[in-house]
Amino acid sequence: MKKLFTIFLFVLLLSMTVNAAADIEITFWTHEDPNRTEIENRYIEEFEQANPGVTIKRVTSGSGQIQELLLTAFAANQGPDIFNMSIEDEYAYIVNERLAPVDFEAAGYPSLQAVYDAYISGVLDPATYKGQLYGLPLELTNWCIYLNKKAFKDVGLDPEKDYPKTWEEMVEVSEKIAVREGEILQRRGFDFRYPYYLVSTVPMVEQLGGQLISDDGKTAIVNDEAWLKFLKFMQEWGPSGKNLGSPTYTNARKLFNMDNNDIGMCLTGLYQQGRIRSDNPDFYNSGEWMVVPFPVFKNAVKDVPAAYYGHYYMVNGQKPKENQKVAWKFVAYMLSHPEEYLTKVNIVQPTVELMNSETYKSMPYSEVFTNDMAKGHIVYYGENSAKIQSHIREAIESVMLAGVSPEDALKTLKRKVQEVLDEG
Amino acid sequence: MSKRIPTYNIERKKARWGWIFVAPTLIFFSLFSFYPIFNALYTSLFKKKLLSLKPPDFIGLSNYIYLLKSPDFWNSMRATVVFTLGTFVPLLIFSLIFAIFIMSRKRFQNFFQIAYYSPAVLSSVVAAVIWLIIFDPRGLGNQWLNLIMNTPGIDHKWLANSVMVQMSTMLVYFWKYVGYFTIIFIVGLASIPHSIYEAAKIDGANDWKNFWYITLPLLKPTTILVSIISMLQCLRTFSTQYLFTQGGAPLAPINVITLNIYYTAIRDHRIGRASAMSIILFVIMLLFTWVQFKSSRADEISY
Amino acid sequence: MSYILQGKKNEINRQSLIIDIFIWAFLILAALFILAPTIFMFTASLMPANDILKMPYRWIPKGLYLQNYWQGIRGNDGSFIYIRNILNSLIVASAVAATTVIFSALAGFGLAKYYFKGRTLVFMLIMATMMIPFEAIMIPLYLVTTKLGIQDSYAGLIAPFLVNAFGVFLMRQYFITFPDEILDAARIDGASELMIFRTIILPNSIPAMATLAILTFKAQWDNLLWPLLVVQSEEMKTIPLYIVKFMAEKHTDEGAMMAVAAIASIPILIVFFKLSKYFLGGAALYSSRKG
Repeated sequence: MKKLFTIFLFVLLLSMTVNAAADIEITFWTHEDPNRTEIENRYIEEFEQANPGVTIKRVTSGSGQIQELLLTAFAANQGPDIFNMSIEDEYAYIVNERLAPVDFEAAGYPSLQAVYDAYISGVLDPATYKGQLYGLPLELTNWCIYLNKKAFKDVGLDPEKDYPKTWEEMVEVSEKIAVREGEILQRRGFDFRYPYYLVSTVPMVEQLGGQLISDDGKTAIVNDEAWLKFLKFMQEWGPSGKNLGSPTYTNARKLFNMDNNDIGMCLTGLYQQGRIRSDNPDFYNSGEWMVVPFPVFKNAVKDVPAAYYGHYYMVNGQKPKENQKVAWKFVAYMLSHPEEYLTKVNIVQPTVELMNSETYKSMPYSEVFTNDMAKGHIVYYGENSAKIQSHIREAIESVMLAGVSPEDALKTLKRKVQEVLDEG
Repeated sequence: MSKRIPTYNIERKKARWGWIFVAPTLIFFSLFSFYPIFNALYTSLFKKKLLSLKPPDFIGLSNYIYLLKSPDFWNSMRATVVFTLGTFVPLLIFSLIFAIFIMSRKRFQNFFQIAYYSPAVLSSVVAAVIWLIIFDPRGLGNQWLNLIMNTPGIDHKWLANSVMVQMSTMLVYFWKYVGYFTIIFIVGLASIPHSIYEAAKIDGANDWKNFWYITLPLLKPTTILVSIISMLQCLRTFSTQYLFTQGGAPLAPINVITLNIYYTAIRDHRIGRASAMSIILFVIMLLFTWVQFKSSRADEISY
Repeated sequence: MSYILQGKKNEINRQSLIIDIFIWAFLILAALFILAPTIFMFTASLMPANDILKMPYRWIPKGLYLQNYWQGIRGNDGSFIYIRNILNSLIVASAVAATTVIFSALAGFGLAKYYFKGRTLVFMLIMATMMIPFEAIMIPLYLVTTKLGIQDSYAGLIAPFLVNAFGVFLMRQYFITFPDEILDAARIDGASELMIFRTIILPNSIPAMATLAILTFKAQWDNLLWPLLVVQSEEMKTIPLYIVKFMAEKHTDEGAMMAVAAIASIPILIVFFKLSKYFLGGAALYSSRKG
């Protein structure tokens, strides 16, 4: 009896250590989005049940903080297993070889090519490097103009017909909708999506024929005339010009949901609908809002809408192979619910299947987004895109807020971006 | 001979105890202050990018040379100097005035001290959030200033105009710390024994002479203390500028050195250059303090 | 004659009355200005967001809109994690205050009352650390912290702040003026140095230690940059991190924002009021000891 008992104890202990060895904890860092948190927490539960020995720890941070958190964690070689950011922020991780390539087997695909085939052509290119694929898209987003019909009707405009199609019209309509006390704007028409200039304003320059970087990647700020026109436009928009808006007012898209008669239009993506629905269901259901395409300058050289950007789920290459496998398996599991991401969170996964589905086509105004996306291109991503964006921000803010002349601002911008390119 | 040995032993024993008392703190500073600053000095001699797994390139003093020639760096110096002078001078003057006024009152001394000090109790993040709303074009900032200056409807662009945004950061800092330094001055004032004033009264001095020839000179150590601490604090300011830029304010006018260091490291990943900037800031702070100490021997004062 | 003297007296009285009124007015206006933002925070926390940015601002809220507080504590994800975050701030700030006081007292005492070779150098070195900008050492510190494996933990939040130069300076200043005779008398009676420290120095330094404790507590309560780097999970966040997170999430709901800010401020304001007697200038610090 005693011997049996000892053997039993030994086996029990052995099994426990074996289980302990099989216990894998996956850390998963992402940005906050209450709608997405809800469904992903459920996926975690389901995945843990189906894969005993795996625990997944999900942590959210503000989108302004996650970039810093990931950076410091990786700098100490302590990054999480799974994370996502906008591709411009993620690119440095790819180039510095911090990531694990997509394990297509764990993700449930027969081959790497099958992964590419499942997605719309081109969307996986930004995450491809030296022949390897390093991320799977969580969302591909572009921005269009949401407008509040009540604001239009309030000033005698018909939203269906009079919505602004050019930037010049945008100025006129915003002027009509604006309500001021002295200099202070109580209600704005449209206001820009400061400080996301790479996505929202570089296309405006491209409409005028300019470029951020030349095609060969060597020269910064191409076509001075286009850039000057653009900077002059922003100066006119701001407090020292027509005073239609400024970066120091509350973000337009955050006010829009509240329907508080303080903003007429904002620039944002399909996901905004989910937020309107949860923040203000009455407004959502009232139908007093609509979406129209990104305006184009009257004498534009090219028809370019706002750039689209993507968030890709990526896996840490410094973690053990076992972790990487499980991580990709989990990522694929989450991403196998594109319709739920669409209906509950309003984010679009650019899979062929989803884009052709009824669900997608039946989302309000999805065709506006699709049309614009088809015309557009991905946002500039490169190792130094954050720094370049901050230089653009400086240029725009200096002409809008600091009284710097567009010519001087352009000179500074050119010099600084060129320096970034040259330093590499 | 036999008299000397015991005292010598006691002195040695005391000296050893001195080291023992100081040791834990020294060990801590070695690990958490000295090692990191030397590490930063070392890093500043390299071209290092935070995410790169490759070994960094040794470039000697190139980071420093680059910084000393960089308009962006000099802008940060300007922003820091402007902020420091613009804040610590009013802080010094007003906290002294408040201290004197409060001490001249017979009642409500405690009330005023508590009231003036209360903002220092709030966290900087809380303060920034409150003031961001006050400085909103529709907020209290415009309302009050327009009321006082009788200019209805004017947007003073607290966070938009490059001059105003600097003043806004100074105002927030001043608001937060004036009470703190007022109390320090009050402590200094209180430590001046009444006997001196009584003696002066017998000699026929009036209030103004009292202030100028007795109070101010005897307050010198306190004043130096306040200057140094407030100046060092101002040179290290970070949260207010960081949170304001996160809230939409332009970066360039308030890109103080600490903020620049932060963004150079965290946004641009250039840890080598950021370390060089930190060393420069460190040297500046050392210099300022040394100059202040030299130009007036602080420490103890006897009556 | 007496009329002239009376006249002069009246003039002086009137002058001093004017000065008096001026001083009162100055102090009261300054108090209003300084208290206004805090009062604003509390009144705004009781209003729906729409009312806060109305022009002109109505100082008295229409009703007690407590939903803001509910929303603030509940958090946007309904997890009530804010309560845990407040606890974290309390734990970290208290621990740092305690260690700072002990270590500063030890070091300050050693520097003030013991003469050893290199004493001045040690003091200068410690003072020099006050000049080290945190941004300079934040990355190396982070690396040290992760090497020790204490990131995202209380230890990691507390470790870099166990003691600071200002505390050492404050305690040293205080101890320098402590009468040597008492210490020598105790030594003659056979007390060891440690006993002297424990039984004579410490009990007589309560005001200074309390002041240091409060100042340190407040500084830690306020700390944004270090927790920003070292905290990686929701549970370990401190109050400033929660506020920054909340600000990013619901930037528009100023009412909830102010409620979150108010919740963060109330405990420390209470602590401050209760302990204020310890560092209000004038009486406490000096009169208790000086003859």
